[in-house]
Amino acid sequence: MAAWRSMLGGLIVWAAHFFTLYILASVFGTSPAARIGTGIASLLAIAAAIVLLRAARRHDDADPLGRWMTSIKKLAAALAIVAVTWQALPALIG
Amino acid sequence: MTSETGFDPALYKRFPTPGPRPEGELEELKRIWCAPRRWEYLTVVNNNYVGLYYVGAAFLFFVLAGVLALVMRVQLALPLNGILPQDTYNQFFTMHGTVMMFLFAVPAVEALGVLLLPQMLAARDLPFPRLSAYAFWAYLVGGLCFFASLFVGLAPDGGWFMYPPLTSTAYSPGINADFWLLGIGFIEISAIAGAIEILVGVLRTRAPGMTLDKMPIFAWALLVFAVMIIIGFPAVILSTLLLELERALNWPFFDPTRGGDPLLWQHLFWFFGHPEVYIIFLPAAGLVSMMVATLARVPLVGYRLIVLGLLATGFISFGVWAHHMFSTGMPALSVGFFSAASMAVSVPAGIQVFSWIATLAAGRPRLNTPTLFLVGGIVIFVLGGLTGVMVALVPFDWQVHDTYFIVAHLHYVLIGGMVFPMFAAFYYWTPMISRNALSERVGRWVFWLMFAGMHVAFLPMHLTGLMGMPRRVYTYLPGRDWEITNFASTVGAFLFTAGVLLFIVDVARRFRPSNEGNAGNVFGAGTLEWLPNGLYSARSIPVVSSREPLWDNPRLAEDVDAGRYFLPNAATGRRETIVTSPLRAEPQYLQIMPGPSVWPLVAAIGTAGFFMLLTVQAYTASNVSGVIAVLAMLRWMWDTDRPIEVDDADIGAGIRVPTYATGAHTHGWWAMVVLLVVIFMIFLMAVFAYLYLYGIHSRFWIAPPELRWLALVAGSGIAASGLALWARRRLTRPDAALWPEPTMVLAAAALLVASLGVDLWSWRDAGLRPEASGQGATVFAFISLQGVLVAISVLMALYLAARNARGLVTRPANNSFDVIVLFIAYTGAQGTLAALLTRLFPGAL
Repeated sequence: MAAWRSMLGGLIVWAAHFFTLYILASVFGTSPAARIGTGIASLLAIAAAIVLLRAARRHDDADPLGRWMTSIKKLAAALAIVAVTWQALPALIG
Repeated sequence: MTSETGFDPALYKRFPTPGPRPEGELEELKRIWCAPRRWEYLTVVNNNYVGLYYVGAAFLFFVLAGVLALVMRVQLALPLNGILPQDTYNQFFTMHGTVMMFLFAVPAVEALGVLLLPQMLAARDLPFPRLSAYAFWAYLVGGLCFFASLFVGLAPDGGWFMYPPLTSTAYSPGINADFWLLGIGFIEISAIAGAIEILVGVLRTRAPGMTLDKMPIFAWALLVFAVMIIIGFPAVILSTLLLELERALNWPFFDPTRGGDPLLWQHLFWFFGHPEVYIIFLPAAGLVSMMVATLARVPLVGYRLIVLGLLATGFISFGVWAHHMFSTGMPALSVGFFSAASMAVSVPAGIQVFSWIATLAAGRPRLNTPTLFLVGGIVIFVLGGLTGVMVALVPFDWQVHDTYFIVAHLHYVLIGGMVFPMFAAFYYWTPMISRNALSERVGRWVFWLMFAGMHVAFLPMHLTGLMGMPRRVYTYLPGRDWEITNFASTVGAFLFTAGVLLFIVDVARRFRPSNEGNAGNVFGAGTLEWLPNGLYSARSIPVVSSREPLWDNPRLAEDVDAGRYFLPNAATGRRETIVTSPLRAEPQYLQIMPGPSVWPLVAAIGTAGFFMLLTVQAYTASNVSGVIAVLAMLRWMWDTDRPIEVDDADIGAGIRVPTYATGAHTHGWWAMVVLLVVIFMIFLMAVFAYLYLYGIHSRFWIAPPELRWLALVAGSGIAASGLALWARRRLTRPDAALWPEPTMVLAAAALLVASLGVDLWSWRDAGLRPEASGQGATVFAFISLQGVLVAISVLMALYLAARNARGLVTRPANNSFDVIVLFIAYTGAQGTLAALLTRLFPGAL
């Protein structure tokens, strides 16, 4: 499971972020508190994705499968950074 | 090289083994995996047969639902037409949607998985062949009974998403809605059984050396598909259960006058319903990725990106459910979030489309029938995707919500994303299982009729919707400018039907099922399903060193057929396959597979009967049917999990693996864990329902029972879990006697019963009634769910005791013992969690 968690880390961050945003909007409605919460959650999610990306870049695998899984991990973390930013925009610019 | 299990990858160099194999090996394989005769066709479990049955049944439901669509199109061809009365029209559109989504689309891709996966992975069969057979028969028998409700005017009529309050007893007093709610129960069971089979199959029965980065894309797609079913289907299981409880017992989950809320249904349903679209699309996309490489005669462009796209789609698809609810008055910020997510979901789908286009551009595609269907499907799907982005924009969605624009959009997505790829797959893989390929000349006619019919039917429908025609109306007045577009849609539907009919004629003329002596690899594909096959799959299981092994090693087919790789014989004289590790596919042990049996069929008939008889309120007969189903399942399991005479066996080139394994790395343990994830997801959805109803209508809520009762309920649950786990630990002791550990498991089950009893009694003593409020309904729903788990735990504990009495519980470890303990421990934990939630929130706030 650790290998899967690592490979899918970026996507897990993305999913945790959008569920957090839905909870914030459901609990606080369209209020400043929801927008501030969205900003904080998004910064945390982006930070987590950056950590994953940096960890993947440092990782040096000897075998082809390891390299392949690391490349998926990098792509997923990079995707998470873009997706989290995109997902937060309705609260930050709306 | 790195190893995952301690297996030395250098051993792969021993293959292909030199020299001829001993005489008689192939004959023995053929004897063990022999073809059925006469009535044995009903008891087969081999994927070659079950997969074919499954595909045929799914296609049958496609045709049946298509006939309903055709009649509806005739009704709408002209204004004020009188072909169908209003009530019947309601039943027709409900059944069309339900059958297409539940009885055709999901089973069809599961069916293709059962048929193709073992061959693609070079396994002898999927790991639970009897489960596949059960899933198929439950689906077929139940599906036919469900469809037959139309002929007696009792078919559901509330639309395929069955929104309350329309489907509550106040507005749908007959049993039509019950047919839907209970009728899809067996489909849910069947789908989940299939998903468990596929998930464990992909992760644990791949050919040695087939690491994750060498897995066929279809296997990746089915892996994501299976996980999505496991996460998504529990929401619809729970929602149908809650609505049926409301209808049958007056528990007000969706009644706002008593603390329920109809929007709860929409949240639960669409949490399943939107991922359902991707549950259908992803396997079809996997098929396209497999075919496009062969047909373009180049390796797939962007394999890694496609895998990422599949995974990303799986994740984001669970974050867009509320875009079906933009017009319900959700907070503006929520609407904005779901709109953004709905646009984002097009990115991973777009990655796959661009990869297919790039593959076609990079290669030299043959313009044959499968290619036509592939390219046609891509065109249609992209158009559907574009209108999908349009309806992700909230102001636009408000304008076209519940109009024919949405009908056009969803048909473009589903026909382009699933139906055309499926027809491409029919043409592409038929030579693998039939003596003849399908006709190329007829195939082109089929394609052009379907392609033209599709656009003539659904392109004008966008205009019909934009001009304001609502969906689901059985007729319309003249003079609204809807006549021409509606008539065109009807003409298109007939064109499409002509294509499907021509396909059926071609299948009747050309399709002759045969594993040995099939038409073979006529398209020159590079993946393992095109190895020479028998009913035992490939003669020997190759070492995989690339994604297209047949392209990279031209001698592979010959060596495999000569038995120069893994498992060239029946090492134990039984049906068997190699279980491999999940990441690197290293051989771990030999799984002994069960053979043909009538019990999956009996269990399936019992299951379908249970649900269907419940619908018509024949309670005694329904209970008898349910008991038959349970007994048949126990009987089928009784034959399994038997240790054999030899502890290990040579699986080729002198490599020996165990013939029996226990613990967390076995396929049985994995299946049980997956099942528990399903159960946990149902629980999680119930938690959501509980919190949601509290958030909406807290004024209906009363104080929970005193905390001392919580201590008793939770204490018993925790004790049950602990006792069961302790029993498993004790079983490994060298001096373990015959009865102490099974007795401890029985005691654990008894503790669960006690915990449930105290929970129920204390809530009733506190004055809570299930029919009184949303709180009462959800709390008693938790207790009911726990009651089901406890009943199964008791049954399992008794079953274990019976096996122990017959000396079938081996020491120091036993698979049946392991999975039963796991289930009981989980049941104790879930009961404790439910008690903590319902008594501390909001009680302790």
